[in-house]
Amino acid sequence: MKKAIAILAFLIIFAFLILGAVEMRPFGEPEQEDMDDYFLGDSQPHNQVNNVVTAVLFDYRGLDTLGEATILFSAVVGVLTVLRETQKKGGEDV
Amino acid sequence: MNWKMSRIVRTVTDFLVVPIVIFGIYLILHGHLTPGGGFQGGAVVASATALLIIAYGTLGRHKKDLSTIEAIGLILFISIALLGIGSTMFYNFLAGTGGMFGGTVEGINSGYINTGGTVTLMNLAVGIEVSAALSLILWMMSKETGIMKPEKKTSKTESKEVEN
Amino acid sequence: MPGLVQIIQFLILIGLMMTAVAVIIFKDLISAAIALGASSLLLSLEFFVLRAPDVAIAEAAVGAALTTAIFIFAIKATERKEGYE
Repeated sequence: MKKAIAILAFLIIFAFLILGAVEMRPFGEPEQEDMDDYFLGDSQPHNQVNNVVTAVLFDYRGLDTLGEATILFSAVVGVLTVLRETQKKGGEDV
Repeated sequence: MNWKMSRIVRTVTDFLVVPIVIFGIYLILHGHLTPGGGFQGGAVVASATALLIIAYGTLGRHKKDLSTIEAIGLILFISIALLGIGSTMFYNFLAGTGGMFGGTVEGINSGYINTGGTVTLMNLAVGIEVSAALSLILWMMSKETGIMKPEKKTSKTESKEVEN
Repeated sequence: MPGLVQIIQFLILIGLMMTAVAVIIFKDLISAAIALGASSLLLSLEFFVLRAPDVAIAEAAVGAALTTAIFIFAIKATERKEGYE
């Protein structure tokens, strides 16, 4: 029974993946391309930056980068919380 | 227990760490000219830290320094973002104003390092933050799992407990 | 007649599938972690062929170096062999 459910789920997901691969647009032709010309043309005169990717990352979509940095910070806080140096076990030494 | 690896590994690490760190700093500082940027450069610098941890088994006790450096990077990033709030957040107020980061570029050029405005500064801040954060994660993981030598401040009673 | 880039992409994708299957098959967890690192390295090569060098650098540094190191640290603290009850 479990195996039948697993095979069924695999077949459904595989069918969806095949469907997505068949209906994929050709490489280099996205559906929405209204903002592309703006980013490509405006990043150099407005930001004085040669690398358009960096201009998008740190100026136009800066809030996303801020979220990424915050996620990394909270990951470090979680690691420090889990793996912090615990106090001495018991109190008999003190 | 033997914390260091063999002499061959340590020598190769000595030769490799400096180019790796220099390449990471290059990626951070040239983020506005070439592919790369703060996150990528910081990750490369942190991989040099992983190499040092695995080869030598110690980094000294710098956990608080790394925490402070990481917080400084994040605060620097947020404050640079907030400095341009006169028009919008993340406004590039330094671009084209001349001076250290305000050089101008136009058309096809070979790339100048003093351009970019706040983008260069934000690359630097994110690079500091990411390198310190990933190094800190590696440091904590390796110390807790016994790859790294424990600190020397453990008293004799604790070491006896560990032996038992 | 496929060009050189198509042949390189084909080889990279075949290697990607082989390493991804190897991650599941291996019972030794350190071997599985190293196969995962090889998979990340091939994925970064594929990103580079698709002209996304930013993503390629990030994938090579984080996926191939740092996560492999963290996985090996974690496996060192637990058990090396995968076991079934």
